Amino acid sequence: MDSTKILLLILGMALVTYIPRALPALLVGKIKFGARVEKFLKLIPYTAMSALIFPGVFTVDAERPLIGIAGGAVAGVLAWLKCPVMVCVIAAIAVDFVLYLL
Amino acid sequence: MRKHPDTTKSRSVALTHFFAGMRAALPVILGFIPVGIAYAIMARQAGLSILQTTGMSVAVFAGASQMMAIGMYEQGAGLLAIILATFILNLRHVIMGTCIVNRMPTGHTAKKLLLSFGVTDEGFAIFTTVDSKWCTLAFYGGVTVVSYASWVLGGFLGAVTSDLLPPILTASLGIALYAMFIGLLTPNIRGNARLALLVVLTAVCNIILSEIIAPSWALIVSTLLCALIGVFFVDLEPKAAPETTKQQEVDHGQH
Repeated sequence: MDSTKILLLILGMALVTYIPRALPALLVGKIKFGARVEKFLKLIPYTAMSALIFPGVFTVDAERPLIGIAGGAVAGVLAWLKCPVMVCVIAAIAVDFVLYLL
Repeated sequence: MRKHPDTTKSRSVALTHFFAGMRAALPVILGFIPVGIAYAIMARQAGLSILQTTGMSVAVFAGASQMMAIGMYEQGAGLLAIILATFILNLRHVIMGTCIVNRMPTGHTAKKLLLSFGVTDEGFAIFTTVDSKWCTLAFYGGVTVVSYASWVLGGFLGAVTSDLLPPILTASLGIALYAMFIGLLTPNIRGNARLALLVVLTAVCNIILSEIIAPSWALIVSTLLCALIGVFFVDLEPKAAPETTKQQEVDHGQH
C-alpha cells in the first residue's frame, strides 16, 4: 500500500471510530429513560467489564495461561482487600515479571 | 477584568475535578504506554513509517482496532475491509458512551462531543465506577487527557525505539489493563452477592460465545444480554438503600 492509501486508511479508521463514540452525546439527554432502562444502563459497566476481563485474561500470554491467571488473581485479591487500583496493577505486573524470570 | 466570584468558584471546582480525573487515570498510563509500544512495533514491522505509526495513534486512539488493522494490513486486506472491521469492533463504544453521557447530568453537547473522542474501555470503566459526585465533564476530561497522552506517547516511543526494550518487561506489562479492570470491578461486587453472580454469569457467557462468534460481537452480545437478565434479579443498592434515600431527602430539604 502506498502512503496515500495509508493516509486514507487512517482517516477512514478515525471516522468510523469517532462516530460510535459521538452518537450517545447527540442522543442521550434528548430521551428520558424509564426506571428499567436506567437500571439496565447501570448494570452495563459490570457486565462489560466482566466481558472485557474474560476470556481475554487467559490469553495475556497465549502460550502461558498462568501469566494471565496469576496476575489477574493477585489483582483480584488486592482489590478485594480494598487496595487502590494502582497498587493492584503494579502488583500484577510485578508477579508476571517474576514469573517470566523464573 | 474582574471575575465574577461564582465563575471563579465554578472554575476552581472544575479544576479540582479535572485533576481528580487525571489521578484516577494514572493506572491507565501503565496499561496504555506498553500496549501503545506493542502496537507501534507491529506497525513498524508491517512497513509503516514513524509518522504513519504515530499518526494512526493520534487520529484513531483505539488500541484493539489499531492492532487489528495492522494485522489485516499485513495479510493484504483491502482498505474498506479494514475500515468496516474497525467500525464493528468499535460498536461497543455506543453502549459505553451511552453509560458515560448518562452519568453527566450537565454540560454542553459541543463539549460532550469533543470528550466523546475519549470514550475508551478504560475511561468507561473508571467513569462508571467512580462516586457520582465526580461525574462531570471536567473529571472525564482529566481521564481523557491522561489516557490520550499515554496512548500517543506509547505509540511514538514504540515507533522510534522499535526493539530496544527488553521483551520480558513489555510482556509483563500485558497484564496491566486486565489488572485495572479487575481492580475497578472487584470492590463493587464485594458486598453484593447478586451483582457478583451476574458478573460470573457474564464471564461464562462471554467465554462460551467467544468460541462461537467473533470476540468483538461476543463482547457486545454478552454485555447487553447479561445486563438485561440482571435487570430482573440484581439489586444495585442492597441494604444501604433506605439509608441513602433518607440522606438524599435530608440533602434536598436543605436546598
